[in-house]
Amino acid sequence: MNFVAPDFMPVVPELFVLTMACLLLVIDVFLEQRQRYITYGVAQLTLLGAALLTLVTYAHAPVTTMFGHYIKDAMGDLLKIFIYLSSAAVFLYSRDYLRRRDLFKGEYYVLGLFGVLGMMIMVSAHSLLSVYLGLELLSLSLYALVAMDRDSPVASEAAMKYFVLGSLASGMLLYGISMIYGATGSVDLQVVSDAVARQGADNLVLVFGLVFLVVGLSFKLGAVPFHMWLPDVYQGAPTSVTLYIGSAPKLAAFALMMRVLVDGLGTLQGDWQQMLIILSVLSIALGNLVAIVQTNIKRMLAYSTISHVGFLLLGILAGSPEGYAAAMFYAIVYVLMAVGAFGMVIMLGRTGFEVENIDDFKGLNDRSPWLAFLMLVIMMSMAGVPFMAGFYAKWMVLQAVVNIGLVWLALFGVVFSVIGAFYYLRVVKCLYFDKPEQSEPIHISLDTEIAISANGLLLVALGLYPTALMTWCATALLN
Amino acid sequence: MGFEKFLFYVFALVLVFSAVRVITVRNPVHAALFLVLAFFTSAALWLLIEAEFLAIVLVLVYVGAVMVLFLFVIMMLDINIVPLREGFIRYLPVGVTVALIIVIEMGLVVGSGYFGAEQYRLVPHAVDYSNTRELGSVLYTFYVYPFEIASAILLVAIIAAISLTMRRREGTKSQDPAWQVRVSRDDRVRLVRMMPEKKK
Amino acid sequence: MLSNYLPVLIFVIIAFIAGTVMVSLGYFLGPRRDDDAKLSAYECGFESFEDARMKFDVRYYLVAILFIIFDLEIAFLFPWAIVLDKIGLFGFAAMAVFLGILVIGFIYEWKKGALEWE
Repeated sequence: MNFVAPDFMPVVPELFVLTMACLLLVIDVFLEQRQRYITYGVAQLTLLGAALLTLVTYAHAPVTTMFGHYIKDAMGDLLKIFIYLSSAAVFLYSRDYLRRRDLFKGEYYVLGLFGVLGMMIMVSAHSLLSVYLGLELLSLSLYALVAMDRDSPVASEAAMKYFVLGSLASGMLLYGISMIYGATGSVDLQVVSDAVARQGADNLVLVFGLVFLVVGLSFKLGAVPFHMWLPDVYQGAPTSVTLYIGSAPKLAAFALMMRVLVDGLGTLQGDWQQMLIILSVLSIALGNLVAIVQTNIKRMLAYSTISHVGFLLLGILAGSPEGYAAAMFYAIVYVLMAVGAFGMVIMLGRTGFEVENIDDFKGLNDRSPWLAFLMLVIMMSMAGVPFMAGFYAKWMVLQAVVNIGLVWLALFGVVFSVIGAFYYLRVVKCLYFDKPEQSEPIHISLDTEIAISANGLLLVALGLYPTALMTWCATALLN
Repeated sequence: MGFEKFLFYVFALVLVFSAVRVITVRNPVHAALFLVLAFFTSAALWLLIEAEFLAIVLVLVYVGAVMVLFLFVIMMLDINIVPLREGFIRYLPVGVTVALIIVIEMGLVVGSGYFGAEQYRLVPHAVDYSNTRELGSVLYTFYVYPFEIASAILLVAIIAAISLTMRRREGTKSQDPAWQVRVSRDDRVRLVRMMPEKKK
Repeated sequence: MLSNYLPVLIFVIIAFIAGTVMVSLGYFLGPRRDDDAKLSAYECGFESFEDARMKFDVRYYLVAILFIIFDLEIAFLFPWAIVLDKIGLFGFAAMAVFLGILVIGFIYEWKKGALEWE
């Protein structure tokens, strides 16, 4: 084997985030508590820098480097840009919340950046080894973040559940990876793909490995029946962390599915399609039905996440370029909606009071019409009301499913999204038709208000002109 | 071949014995020590299939560090083991069922044409072959990317461990020599002016 | 070749024999004249108050877990030391970066006071 040093240029965004995260860790321990805003600023600058680096080096043709462990392509770059964007929004929205709760520590931002690094590695993974390591880097940061509020028993319990089930899922994933390695003799997804094409579905070891892989991935994604951790973690974790878990990691999980199932095990599509159909049917049904009876807003949004994951899987299981593009569009729109929804939950809190229940939104229109309008946009979009971004996302996904002949599945999705609209509209009813239960004015710092307004308006814009993003997704997937 | 087989059975017997003792001894500290023995004999078994690096790492990391952690946790929780055993009979049927399923599955895996032990024979190597060297020659070159990610994961583990378990506790009594040296007279002596008092 | 491991085997056997011999010599040769007073628990002349096993402070755990992390580092250093002459400057730099990242963890640990015992 002749060794030539690899090309480091494509990996520069990752290297930058890693360096900055390490630097931030060192800077932070030398800061006083009142200078903590510097940590926050550096974290935001890191995300900005990474975004610029990714934009400047935006890939027009896929490049593989690091001996096949890393790939830089347009899909990865596009997803990374949205990962930076949503993480920056997460950091911004949670800043005041962390201050109020006395959780404003440097670790939140350092672990947050390491989580972003983990997602970047997942998005650009071209070998099963980097898939696994990226996922572990993200998960480990998330476990620690959930447990960060050490004095809260609920958060500790959530962290325990998340950690135990997450480790189990990692074990499953690793087991699947080792079987696939055993059958193909490589971890490089290109080599795996070639070997699978040669052996086909006849090799039982491959199919076994695939089952374990899908189980592991759906655990991380939170698809039914592997969703048990999700509501408890969303509810128990500090809202700033729920915001983080609920947003960018979904983009990384989508990328992971694409890399492993489509790029690596594309030949076995017949096998994983059936598994994904079961997962998505169960997720859509359970997520929408159980969300109806929730009174806790974070728990309701958790079940709504489960149902959205079901829709996301619909696009992937379609197995066609338009299906993948639809799923990618769905993932991005979903992340924008989730950031907005959890962001609203965070922002309406104040010292000594946090929004926990749907009832806490009562009469928001009387207290702040603009925030109520933004919440209306987000909820409508999540429900998939026509001419909202969420509607186009659902529509494209369902269209892709119809095009491969699974009309019943599409009908099923439509029926359940109508059922699901009920609980989103209940929030809207709270906003506009109920008397406010509290009269305290809402204080939101200016930058946060600008960001949440931009977030809401972006959803409106995507609802009116979905084609721009959709085309971007489709072209990114093509090359 | 005869001697190797003999060694294999010796180590395998010790391994099975110690593994059974891990779950049957009453004292959790003894159970942990039996686990150490189990790890050690598995390391010996790995040596027998010439996986010496794995064997060394098992002894170094698991026996040397992870088991110490286990012992700490056992001591820290100070579990009274007797109540834990009360449900033994109640859970026995479930336990036996699960164990049976696992045994059957393992039988299928070991015996089958796909996973069977026959399929994956030991690859013979030259006399001077060292799998530590083979591992090293690719780990730091062709696998440099996963290798560096591993260090990031370890760093996150350090941050997580410290931020989750370290807390300053109030009122601990400790000495700080530097502070002791820096002490000045004013810290220790307080002069109080008082009027002379008459004894009654 | 397996014969290379023979010293290990001999070492294990000698360790086993040495351990057994020492314990059994003491057991068989040492005089033992037990009586009630000798076998009873002694704690400064009082009846014992509690179980000899007591709860450890969680700080021990922190030390142990930090030890594991740096112990794992050894597992990586070990094959590196063997092939250092073959992997050249690139391999050297790879390990330098690896160690550098962990040193940052060490600085963090030090400054946070995780190594202080109060």
